[in-house]
Amino acid sequence: MIKYNGEHLLIGQIGMFLTLLAFTAALLAAFANFKAANANELEEKPWRRLARISFLTNAVSVIGLFVVLYLIIYNHYFEYKYAHSHSKRSLDMQYLLSCFWEGQEGSFMLWAFWNAILGAVLIKWSRKWEYPVMSVMSILQLFLASFLLGIYFFDIRIGTNPFVLMRNEFPDAPIFQDADYLTKYLTDGNGLNILLQNYWMVIHPPVLFLGFASAAVPYAFAVAGLWKRDHAGWVRAAMPWALFSAGILGLGIMMGGAWAYESLTFGGYWAWDPVENASMVPWLLLVAGIHTMLIFQSTGHSLKSSYLFIALGYLLVLYSTFLTRTGVLGDTSVHSFTGEGNSLYWHLLLMQFVFIALPLALYWRDRKNVPVVVKEESMNSREFWMFVGSLLLLISAVYIIVLTSLPFINKLIGTSWAIGDEVEYVYNRIMVLVTIVLALLTAMTQYFKYKDTTRKYLWSKLLVPTVISAVLGALVSIFGDINYDKFGLGYLVAIHVALWASIYTVVANAFYLGSVLKWKMKAAGSSITHFGFGLMLVGILISASKKELISQNLTGILVKGLRDNKGKEDNPLENMTLIYNTPIPMGKYMVTYLGDSSEPKNNKVYFKINFVETDTVTNEVKDQFTITPNAFMIKSETGSNLSSNPGAKHYLTSDVFVYITSWMSPENAKKDTSEFKYTRVSQGDTVFYSNGYVLVEDLVRANKNDNKDLPLVDSAWLSKLNVVSSQGVGFKSTPGYFVQKGFGFSKADTVMEQSLVLNLEKRGKDDVYLGVKESASVMRYITLKAFRFPLINLLWLGTVIMVIGFMISMYFRLKSKLYAI
Amino acid sequence: MKKTHVLGLVFIAASIAALLTLMDDISTYDSVESARRKEGKFVHLIAKLDTTKPVIYDPLKDPNYLSFVAVDSLGSSTAVVYRNAKPTDFEKSQRVVMKGSMKGEVFECKEIILKCPSKYTDEKVAKL
Repeated sequence: MIKYNGEHLLIGQIGMFLTLLAFTAALLAAFANFKAANANELEEKPWRRLARISFLTNAVSVIGLFVVLYLIIYNHYFEYKYAHSHSKRSLDMQYLLSCFWEGQEGSFMLWAFWNAILGAVLIKWSRKWEYPVMSVMSILQLFLASFLLGIYFFDIRIGTNPFVLMRNEFPDAPIFQDADYLTKYLTDGNGLNILLQNYWMVIHPPVLFLGFASAAVPYAFAVAGLWKRDHAGWVRAAMPWALFSAGILGLGIMMGGAWAYESLTFGGYWAWDPVENASMVPWLLLVAGIHTMLIFQSTGHSLKSSYLFIALGYLLVLYSTFLTRTGVLGDTSVHSFTGEGNSLYWHLLLMQFVFIALPLALYWRDRKNVPVVVKEESMNSREFWMFVGSLLLLISAVYIIVLTSLPFINKLIGTSWAIGDEVEYVYNRIMVLVTIVLALLTAMTQYFKYKDTTRKYLWSKLLVPTVISAVLGALVSIFGDINYDKFGLGYLVAIHVALWASIYTVVANAFYLGSVLKWKMKAAGSSITHFGFGLMLVGILISASKKELISQNLTGILVKGLRDNKGKEDNPLENMTLIYNTPIPMGKYMVTYLGDSSEPKNNKVYFKINFVETDTVTNEVKDQFTITPNAFMIKSETGSNLSSNPGAKHYLTSDVFVYITSWMSPENAKKDTSEFKYTRVSQGDTVFYSNGYVLVEDLVRANKNDNKDLPLVDSAWLSKLNVVSSQGVGFKSTPGYFVQKGFGFSKADTVMEQSLVLNLEKRGKDDVYLGVKESASVMRYITLKAFRFPLINLLWLGTVIMVIGFMISMYFRLKSKLYAI
Repeated sequence: MKKTHVLGLVFIAASIAALLTLMDDISTYDSVESARRKEGKFVHLIAKLDTTKPVIYDPLKDPNYLSFVAVDSLGSSTAVVYRNAKPTDFEKSQRVVMKGSMKGEVFECKEIILKCPSKYTDEKVAKL
């Protein structure tokens, strides 16, 4: 046994202890809450005590786990695998939190953390619902804690513990033969994936996970409703939570979009990537559930649908976790997943099974007593159209999740299907139709009253907003210059119609606030939410269909025969190469690569790209700005690679968005292979190269005796050259040739601006040759892509307003006596 | 029949229609040989970069032209042209999923997904 030096074992042992404590406490809490829920008044009290104490113990342990892991990362204890794999000494303070969410264990911990907080709030405020709801929350905590156990049960490892030591994970590595391995070898960690080194990545996972975690609360209430056979009560109790969850989850998803927009290079905020889809689908169902719950509260209809949507919404949170964490998605995502192997696969399947079985069994038990309204909804009622909308949300959720699950389906039935070449279009063409109907419903449905609405009332209220949005929509269609015809006329028309409908949503909901609600905040939550949602749709439709490629490469020729699947000529040439200090036209801009500066601490390079827009007639500069995208240089044996971070210039009405796709870095330059061309020269000679000529102004022989400036060599040939480019610009250059102790060697000189390397060589007795090399590598250049996203700010603004709307709705429901539980 | 039932049927019909339109867009994962057999058809080719052959990418000449040789797990190889910038960490990738179609002898690739080794590997520790 080796006694290792410098390890900090205690903190890991505390962590391990807290993991076990969290697990045991959750088990106890689940049991005690179950007992308390089924107990009569006499037996209830001791169970309640036990239930609360054990859940709070779990909550405190989870918070403790969080602190312990943070301390390990913060103090750079690289003997722990988690710190070694996910952090690094040079990492900025603010990104230490991102290290947390990068790993599987950290994100499960974050999830458990929010659950613990939510559970504590529920203990305080859920009154009669406490035991059944807390039973569900405790089972959830039990599962989450089990993901962190890392204990072997026979041969299967259950969960992965974040406090494992490097030397226990890799016992055979030779470095662990050395008692001082920490100070000698494991002195630094592997660092954080650079894509995660972005401030959105610090804040968006906590928000997103709060969304995921809080979706459990309405689910728990639904289960409690079935369990306690209180089919009406749970809806009331769950409503504020469902609103909270939909708001936060929506915010988290869009913050994820903002992260993708700012740090990923697929050029957008949404790419229908499995990870994005997986977070969006539960949100769609949650929103559908909120609407059916509202229908139920006002009319008694749609109770079963409410159970279905709320339960399904949470199951999809779990299913999404399953898809994105077990590696079943494999090759389809830009996100790379660390498959934790089979054990997590079955572990998550088991969890999903439990959470499906629970509501199903309880529903089956009480299926005869679930109230159903026999009378049909009227077509003139609000509930009818709300239900149509909810169904539509369900359908779109199913469509998205089925497509996202293709790799999993392949795995199950042994096929090898994949979505074809236009992944985004496959989603968008359905979603644009969904948007049309959904936006129309969102615009009009509020003007209907529950049960029945007279036509006269409807028209008197709807006429003005309808006319206004029709005019606005027409103006946008005519002057908006929306002509995205890549997928044909039908799709373009659908985009226009969807845009009209979305404008209608915005206008109609604004009017509803004024004309029907008279600006009373108490009932305004839904209109504000819908208004924000409408703005989002408008922002999405415009920024996506008018997204403009600025760096369209017209220098290249259209690639012959390259056609897209619709048979159209396809021009995928999106990259432009910029040579240092050489302006190149790009769209309406002259773009210049002004240079780069590096931050050696973390191998980050900033590129200065200058955009100038001049008036074509007067030649006056209309607009001028500099964008500084950056990139990390990743060094490896095969040369250095760059991982790019976009830069953007934000205007109120549009964003110009740039990222570097390739850079001739100094290291790569060494591998240059083009050769010198030698010409024999004497003073006054001229040598031509592709872009000009080199004039030999002076060529002198010097030796130690007559030149005291040459102390290190015995003799030398020195030259003074004037390089004149075809533009008439002259550059000085002074290559030389030296002899020392009988050996000759050249001292080359470069003319960066002309990408020339000049060299002097002596052959024979007194013949001097000038070598000229035209090299790609002396030239400083970058390759980039640039886009313009118009009106993307509408999307962000709409998101904020929508979330505020959700919170207003939640706030007034919490205050209202109707919602007292 | 109740209105809600009609509604349900309409939605089911709409979903089936939506899924049917998908059939056109479904492609498959293929090897080099099977992609050759389906020349012109859009496929997902799973292979890896043949590091013994040169990777051609010269942004000064054409920033939108990358060409290399890919070899699949069955040992067949094909030249690949990707008319875009060279992806980050391209040479380091263990596996590439290329979306595109065979055009004659060349695989015209529209999108590349790289599977890079996790930056954290056991061998790395073992080597230390």
